[in-house]
Amino acid sequence: MVASILNPVRLAQFFEIIFSPIIVALVIFLGFIVVGYLIGRVSAQVLTSIGIGEMVEGTTFERTAQGLGSSTVAVMARLTSWFIYGFGALFALHIVGVLDANLLWQQITIFVPRLFVAVLVVIIGIVIGEKAALVIQERLRSVKLPEVTVVAKLTKYSIIFLAALIALGQIGVVTTALVVVLAAYAFGVVFLGGIACKDLLSSGAAGMYLLYHQPYAIGDHVRIGDREGIVQEVGLFVTWVEGEEVEYVIPNNHVFAHGIGRIR
Amino acid sequence: MGTLQDVIEEHVEGVETLFLFSPSRSFYQQCAEIEDVDVTVLAADNEQGASQFIEFPLDFANVQDRIQFGVEAAVEADYVESGDRVLCAADMLGDGTDTFVVLRVPDAVHTGLYDLFTDSRAEPNVIRDVFELAIELGKKGQKGKPVGALFVVGDAGKVMNKSRPLSYNPFEKSHVHVGDPIVNVMLKEFSRLDGAFVISDSGKIVSSYRYLEPAAEGVDIPKGLGARHMAAGAITRDTNAVAIVLSESDGMVRAFKGGSIVCEVDPEAY
Repeated sequence: MVASILNPVRLAQFFEIIFSPIIVALVIFLGFIVVGYLIGRVSAQVLTSIGIGEMVEGTTFERTAQGLGSSTVAVMARLTSWFIYGFGALFALHIVGVLDANLLWQQITIFVPRLFVAVLVVIIGIVIGEKAALVIQERLRSVKLPEVTVVAKLTKYSIIFLAALIALGQIGVVTTALVVVLAAYAFGVVFLGGIACKDLLSSGAAGMYLLYHQPYAIGDHVRIGDREGIVQEVGLFVTWVEGEEVEYVIPNNHVFAHGIGRIR
Repeated sequence: MGTLQDVIEEHVEGVETLFLFSPSRSFYQQCAEIEDVDVTVLAADNEQGASQFIEFPLDFANVQDRIQFGVEAAVEADYVESGDRVLCAADMLGDGTDTFVVLRVPDAVHTGLYDLFTDSRAEPNVIRDVFELAIELGKKGQKGKPVGALFVVGDAGKVMNKSRPLSYNPFEKSHVHVGDPIVNVMLKEFSRLDGAFVISDSGKIVSSYRYLEPAAEGVDIPKGLGARHMAAGAITRDTNAVAIVLSESDGMVRAFKGGSIVCEVDPEAY
C-alpha cells in the first residue's frame, strides 16, 4: 500500500490534481474568506478599543446605521471584510486564468481598492464632519445667540466637501475643475465682498466682541469719542446711544477706534 | 308710509367708504362691485387681495377697538379724511358679518391704540409679540395658576436707569429676543419671579426681575388696579417706553403708554 502511494506516477497525478489551477484558486479564495472574516472581527475590536464607537456617538451616520440595526464600527468592519473577499475572488479568478491579459479586468483590480479607499474616506469624512460640528456646537453653547449654529454647520459641510473631493480623486475623477470653481467662488466672495463690506466687516468683528464680552450693557452711561449718552441697544454692527436731544447710531468699529468711557 | 328700506337708505345716504372687518370672500366680492363706494378691507391678512387694506396687528375682540384702530389707520393711510361718512361692516357675535355701524370720521382721531403700535419707540412687531406673549400667559397661567407679569418695551436704556435689580439678572449676557421660539417657555418660567421684564426697541430681553422706580406723581389709572399697573403707568410717563401688563387678579392684559391705559384685552375672549 505504501509503495502504491509513493509510486512516482501516482504521486505526479496526485500533485497534478492538487495543484490544478481551479483547486489552487478555490483554496486561495477560501483562505481570503477566512482571513477577511478574521480581519473584519479584529478591526471591529480594534475600532471599538480605540474608542471609535464612543467617538461617533450622536452623529447622524451612527444614528442611521443604528436605525438599520448596525453601527458605524460594524459597517467599517464589514466593509473591510467585503473588500478582502472581493480581492480574494479577483485573485482566484486571476489564477484560474480567466482574467489573463484582459485589460479591463486588470483595471478593475486597480480600481476596486481605490473605490474601497474612497468609500472609507467618505464615511470617515462624514463622521469627522459631524463630530466636529457637535464639538463646536458644544463649545459655542455659552454664546447665547441662536444664529451661532451656522458656524458648526459650515465646518461640517466643509469637511464633508473635502472628503468628497479626496474620494473623487481616489477613484480617478478629475476634481481640478471643482477645486478651481470653488476657489474662484471663494475668492470672489471673500475678496470682492471684503472690499465692498470693509466697514461692515470691521464693525461686525468689533460687534462680536462687544456682544460676547459686553464691556457695556443697555442702560450704561458711556462716552464714545465726543459722543455721550445712555446705551439703548447693542447690535452686531452698530450701537445706539441716546444723548441729550440726539440719538447716536455709532458703528461698532468707531467704538473700538475711540474706546469706551464708562461714566459712573 | 315708510318701509324698512327707506329707514336704512336714509342712514347710509352720503356714505362713500365701506370698511369691511375680516369679510368673507363672497361678501367682499359683493361689496367690491358696488359703484361709487370705496371698499377698504381691515383684517389680520389680505386674503382677498383688496387694493385698500389695513392690517390689524392684533385680533381685537372688541368691535369698538377694531373700529377705532381702523379709522385711525385709514386716516393715516389717506383712505378717508375727517368729516367722511363711513359704513363699517363687522362681525360682533362671531358668526359672520352681523353688525353695521355708520360713523363720521372725527376731526382729531387720537385714541392712542393706533399710536401704540405705529408710533412707539419699539418696533410694531415687537409690541405685537409681547402682546401675544402676555395673552398666552394670561390664558394658560403658569402651571395652571394665574400669574401677573409686567413687560416694559422700548427705551430700555432709560428704563434700566429708572429701575434697580431685585436680584441677579437671569438674562445677563444673553441674546434672546421676544420673537424666538424658545422664549415663550422661558418667560413663562421667569414670570414666577416678581418684578418687571425690560425689553429693548428691537425686542432683545435686557433684564427680568427689575424693580421699577419712576416718579408716580400725576399718574391716573382706574382705582382698584394694583401696584403693578401703577408702576406700568408711571414708567411709561417717565420714559418713552410702553408697558404691557397681565393682571394677576382679573386676568386682563392692559397696555400703557404715556402714563395712561391705551387698550385692554381679555385673554379668554381672544
